[in-house]
Amino acid sequence: MAQTGVVKPKRTLAEKLNEEHIAGMICTAPFTIGFLLFMIVPMLISAYYAFCDFDILSPAVWTGLANFKTMFSEAKFWKSLGVTFYFAFVSVPLRLVFALIVALILLRTTKITALYRAVYYLPSIIGGSVAVAILWKRMFGNDGTVNVLLRMLGFEGKIKWFGQPGTAMWTLIILAVWQFGSSMLIFLSALKQIPASLYEAGEIDGANKVQQFFRITLPLLTPTIFFNLVMQMINGFLAFTQCYIITQGKPMNSTLFYTVYMYQQSFEFYKAGYGAALAWVMLVVIAMFTGLLFATKRFWVYEDKR
Amino acid sequence: MKKIALILALVMIASLCMSAMAEENILVTWWGNQTRNERTHAALELYASEHEGISFTEVPNSWDDYWKKVAADIQGDSIDVMQMDYQYLNQYSENGLLLDLTPYVESGALKIDDVNEGIVGSGKVGDGLYAICIGVNAPALLYNKTLLDENGIEVKDNMTLDEFLALSREIFEKTGYKTNIGYGTDMVFGYILRGYDIDLFKDGKLNITAEDAEKFFSLYETGITEGWLVTSDVFAETAVGTVEQDPMIYGSDPESMSWCAFFWSNQVTAMQNAAPEGMEVGITTWPSADPVKSNYLKPSQFFSVAAKTQHADTAVDIVNFWTNSVEANEILLGERGIPASAATAAGIADKLDEVNQKVVAYINDVVSPNCSAVPAADPAGASEFYNLVDELQEELCYGMTTAADAAARLIDECPANLK
Repeated sequence: MAQTGVVKPKRTLAEKLNEEHIAGMICTAPFTIGFLLFMIVPMLISAYYAFCDFDILSPAVWTGLANFKTMFSEAKFWKSLGVTFYFAFVSVPLRLVFALIVALILLRTTKITALYRAVYYLPSIIGGSVAVAILWKRMFGNDGTVNVLLRMLGFEGKIKWFGQPGTAMWTLIILAVWQFGSSMLIFLSALKQIPASLYEAGEIDGANKVQQFFRITLPLLTPTIFFNLVMQMINGFLAFTQCYIITQGKPMNSTLFYTVYMYQQSFEFYKAGYGAALAWVMLVVIAMFTGLLFATKRFWVYEDKR
Repeated sequence: MKKIALILALVMIASLCMSAMAEENILVTWWGNQTRNERTHAALELYASEHEGISFTEVPNSWDDYWKKVAADIQGDSIDVMQMDYQYLNQYSENGLLLDLTPYVESGALKIDDVNEGIVGSGKVGDGLYAICIGVNAPALLYNKTLLDENGIEVKDNMTLDEFLALSREIFEKTGYKTNIGYGTDMVFGYILRGYDIDLFKDGKLNITAEDAEKFFSLYETGITEGWLVTSDVFAETAVGTVEQDPMIYGSDPESMSWCAFFWSNQVTAMQNAAPEGMEVGITTWPSADPVKSNYLKPSQFFSVAAKTQHADTAVDIVNFWTNSVEANEILLGERGIPASAATAAGIADKLDEVNQKVVAYINDVVSPNCSAVPAADPAGASEFYNLVDELQEELCYGMTTAADAAARLIDECPANLK
């Protein structure tokens, strides 16, 4: 259509604002501005500090790659990375298995399931909080609920849950597994979307419940499992509160999460430049694992090709 | 529609005027304990009641968290008055984060005539006065006096290390209570070495050999071998360094408790308040091979004014109030240490309760005649060094290393900027 010679009608301000792309931009502005100011700008600043010697109190001094060189020669860095991997790789699969089992149980709709869903979801809302961390510390303390219960069951002596490298880590893992609520909800909604006709067909072909689960439910859930796995893996790598409040990395740094190590370096030892470098290395690690998961996607994740 | 807009505009203007007339809000931040928080709050209330239009934002914290938070906060202008420590004074003043108080002393806004010159000097860096001492302290070994009295065990002042070890053994045998050799109390390490005429740091660098460090770690080794040392799992459960959760008063059976705690003289009150009913807290010196060489009086608690404060005059006036007001110090009652101003200290002397009189007597009669000069402030990076000491102590407790090995590693893994 030729535009020449056609005079554009004058539009009012209201009309201009109503245009789709402008309205969209205005409506997202609060988030966009917040995101730029409080995410992107600090990220850029931290990227700069990663190459600096910065003690928070005095101006940063450019030192090039020095932070990264110290990092890779520091035993504590490798230790905390190992601890974080262990935590993420043990707690995330366990949490997903739990979430799936509970979701399957709560799938049947009766009068009380709504209540149960809410109750099981609660821990994942409050689970990352300081209050629950403190509660956990009390529960597993020398005179805590867990030891008292064990004594009632006839166990002699007190188990020092936080005092031994082996058990201290597991208190944190159990706390993480307990927060399976959000994965459970996602599983629940995915389970509901599996067409009943598939199960009916399976039944006619003589498949029992177990076969139905492994041949119908699980394959159709793989996209959801994949999503949960990626999200929870990232959460696992970034876990902070549990470790910071409950164990502080003790004993002997056997529970020293990467983020707590980063925090310790930045704010306790005033080595914020080094801390920033640590943060960027973690970003790369997370990107690598996410990439790895995506690369394996085509081998095990069901895609609806219709 | 227009009416609403007009009303909104009026409300906005009104609120702007209100905030312009609003009172001055002063942010005061400190580290401490429950007792200190309550008394500081009460003293600030007193100030506010005497000065119209001034209100306070109080930000108390624990020692550890305090320094993490302050480092970031002081970059902005939110902090007005902050508690300062001798160990951090150099670092903060050299970076221009603290207000030089000299002009206020000259103008008379800050009166320090009654403060001993040496104590005033401890707040000086170069030519500037960056901190005013609000409490003089000394290292103090607090102990469960009730327990020891019941078992007929006596503790004497100025114990040597050997006497301390013998005492720990005796207490363990008679009562089952163990000993905590200052786990997490940074200054113990340097204190023990001073007894052997060794300075931990010199010219901003570490000044010890592995052999020196072993003298300290061997105390731990001895305690573990003989079984009377509080094991590390106790510290995995508690907030180390807080009065309220110290194994001397926190815990349920002797196996996880200590008969003593390496603290500071000003913490007796808080410890006594946090202790279970009926437990009397005793006070004596930290043990050392040579107590006179090791011990010192430390002007440890200071108030500083942040350089970026918007309320410099009021902030300085509060520091002045803290130093000179007898009424304020009647509330504070030497909880941070004995008031630096001699006049103020004399003014509250007869108001002190039994516990605080014990502290004053300890400072004046036990430490003052038997001590040396306070060690130079720790260089930057010291907190990382002390953290390493803690970690090595922990490994010793778990039997993962020996005293000799821990000492060698301490020298080896010491933070680069201290080498």
